[in-house]
Amino acid sequence: MTKKLVSVLALSVAMSAFLAACGSDSEKGGNSASPSSSASPSASPSASPSESPSASASESASPEKVENFTVSLRHIQIGEAQKFRKAILDDVVKKTEAEVPGLKFELDGVEDSVNRFTKLPAEMAAGNPPKIFDLFGGAGDAQKYAKAGRLLDLTPIIDELGLKDKFLNVLDTFSVDGKVYGLPIGGNTEGIFYNTDLFAKYGLNPPTTWDDLVKAADTLKQNNITPFAVGSKGAWVPNMLVNTLIGRIAGEGTNAGFITGASKWTSPDVVAAYQIVADWEKKGYFTKGELGKEYADMLNDFVAGKAGMMFDGSWRSSAFKDEAVGAAIAGKVAFVALPAVPNGKGDQTSVNANYANGYGFSSDLNDNELKAVKAFIKNLYSDEMQLRGLLEDGVLPSMKLSDESVGQVSDPLVKQVLDVLGKAGTTFPHFDSVVQSKVYTETETQLQKLIAGKAKPEDVAKAIQKVQDAENAAAAK
Amino acid sequence: MRSTLKNPYVYMLFVLPTIVLYFLFFIYPMLTSVFYGFTNWNGLDTKDFIGFDNFVAAFKDADFRNSILNNLYILLFSCCIQVPLIIVFSLLISSVKRFQGFYKTTVFMPSILSTSVIGILWGYIYDSDVGLLNNILKIFGIDPIYWLADTKWALFSILVTNAWQWMGFYIVLILAAILAIPKDIDEAAMIDGATGVQRAWYLTVPLIKPIINVVIMLSIAGALRVVDIVLVMTGGGPAGATDVMASYMVNKAIKYGDYGYGTALSIIIFIFALILTALYQILIVRRQERVEY
Repeated sequence: MTKKLVSVLALSVAMSAFLAACGSDSEKGGNSASPSSSASPSASPSASPSESPSASASESASPEKVENFTVSLRHIQIGEAQKFRKAILDDVVKKTEAEVPGLKFELDGVEDSVNRFTKLPAEMAAGNPPKIFDLFGGAGDAQKYAKAGRLLDLTPIIDELGLKDKFLNVLDTFSVDGKVYGLPIGGNTEGIFYNTDLFAKYGLNPPTTWDDLVKAADTLKQNNITPFAVGSKGAWVPNMLVNTLIGRIAGEGTNAGFITGASKWTSPDVVAAYQIVADWEKKGYFTKGELGKEYADMLNDFVAGKAGMMFDGSWRSSAFKDEAVGAAIAGKVAFVALPAVPNGKGDQTSVNANYANGYGFSSDLNDNELKAVKAFIKNLYSDEMQLRGLLEDGVLPSMKLSDESVGQVSDPLVKQVLDVLGKAGTTFPHFDSVVQSKVYTETETQLQKLIAGKAKPEDVAKAIQKVQDAENAAAAK
Repeated sequence: MRSTLKNPYVYMLFVLPTIVLYFLFFIYPMLTSVFYGFTNWNGLDTKDFIGFDNFVAAFKDADFRNSILNNLYILLFSCCIQVPLIIVFSLLISSVKRFQGFYKTTVFMPSILSTSVIGILWGYIYDSDVGLLNNILKIFGIDPIYWLADTKWALFSILVTNAWQWMGFYIVLILAAILAIPKDIDEAAMIDGATGVQRAWYLTVPLIKPIINVVIMLSIAGALRVVDIVLVMTGGGPAGATDVMASYMVNKAIKYGDYGYGTALSIIIFIFALILTALYQILIVRRQERVEY
């Protein structure tokens, strides 16, 4: 009996030892994985050699035997078109690593919409988001995560760093109950880029009035050039035009009113905006087979001269520099706001302005990580980086810059963007940073159906309003 | 020691780790997903019990119904077009005298490639501007077809790709069955004057019926399960034209954060697959007699 018992005990001890070994093994595996993946930031010094003096500071600090730690950083600056933004981020990372002893950032680049709509939501659900991550403002993103307690309350940090009054009035979409949970890195406006060479070739006027715009589109179409390049595989791309059309036709306050019930998707004006898209689809104003085209294809078509115009965000202006992806047509691109729509309601000079993209931070931080986050915020949200964003990348500052700083802008396209915003009577946000995520999803689904010719503008509006009603009712509970 | 090994509890102890893992990674998630199916969990905070609302919503959801239809199209395509083709190809390859190994390897090749590779590969073939297919069409002066971007063509394009990927696997299965038939049966028929087609249709096919049944059943299960190729090639687009039940579920749950609804959809898919496979088993397979050579 005792023999039996002993052997059974021995077995169970052996087994638990085996299982325990498995456990610690996998933990070790997890740790050993991090240094190798943290190699990515060190691979980026080529982006800016100017910061090398500060890098040596960290080396001099190392003899004090500091505890090494890593902080994960999710960004969306991948690909050639984003290289200017990546360079700024790399410099901030390097500077921050130099300031905080032992810190190593683990950079993780993920494509924008994959991060925003797939990866980050899944990580938020599982409760393991990166420590620092690219974040959008609004009810479907920052505010949703903030309410679930996933985001770090930044109010004390921006107070401490004296940043509170430095921001323009752009923190609302990142705030819940007066607390700030994310910081926009910059802003943009969405409008029309057009190829001045093609317009000159066919004797077209710049598309600054509705008639000129339609005439230009018709003429281009007759000459077998796509009037508007678009890549609608991701429906957020054609949604940009829809958003501005709604602002123009139904008035600049419409987008903000969907969640309060002040405006309705089914109102004739909003339907009219969808009707314009449907009409233009029918007339063949957009890229053929657009539902199979990616966002990057849209730029490629425009740069290749296959399309005369594209409706895109002002962030694209940096693609038309001499050393960028759109170099082929550098200097031959101009930017204008969508012209006034005949019989449109509200201020026809108003333009869309978004300050929705920025960074958020996990609420689950230890002291070291918090230090790193603070230093990161201090370095990224500085006058210097804001100005660099504007000059190198054409990103509108989200913080107050002096007129003299803004006066340094020499890029003609960025000047045109600033001009468009300067002339605007008012601005309105994109509805993607206003409405709930389910509603936004429905706008994408329905817009693709409209493009495919499977739904009429009225059906589209009805379907979206149905989801909007349900979400508004749920929010009121 | 000997008495220890006679004790059934010791054996239990050996099996226990596996059972624990099985419970942890299979039974537990399954039970919780049944629970989540009855909630409106959004992945973050709200998790209220809402009864059968998700299931009611699913059957009212026109997009989900559309994705069920797409699954049925895939099922019909694989059973009515793919399986006959598989049998024909197997018969052809089995009667080839030289390079049979070469043909076998060639048809089997796509099955060992990962779906992502195949999806991207065929994505280039279908590309509207530079794709192989449209370049061939151009030679004949035909306007480009937007294979993956046109709601009329997208599902068909995926079906062809999917068939290309999996036919080889089934061909090898059936080929093995054909080659296992004793040669003397075939030779006897030949001496009696049966032609090649007659021998194939009246002898070989009846003799490999059991394996054809297996192939059909695997095709049914595969058609209901297909999702990876859709996600890689179109993500369910354009405008839901290629959405199958599983891709619709993945998009709803993971992409749009509607975990409660997504889990309810997964339960529906599970029940669907269960019923169809069971029906096929009961109605067709059970009635078959075993083939004895």
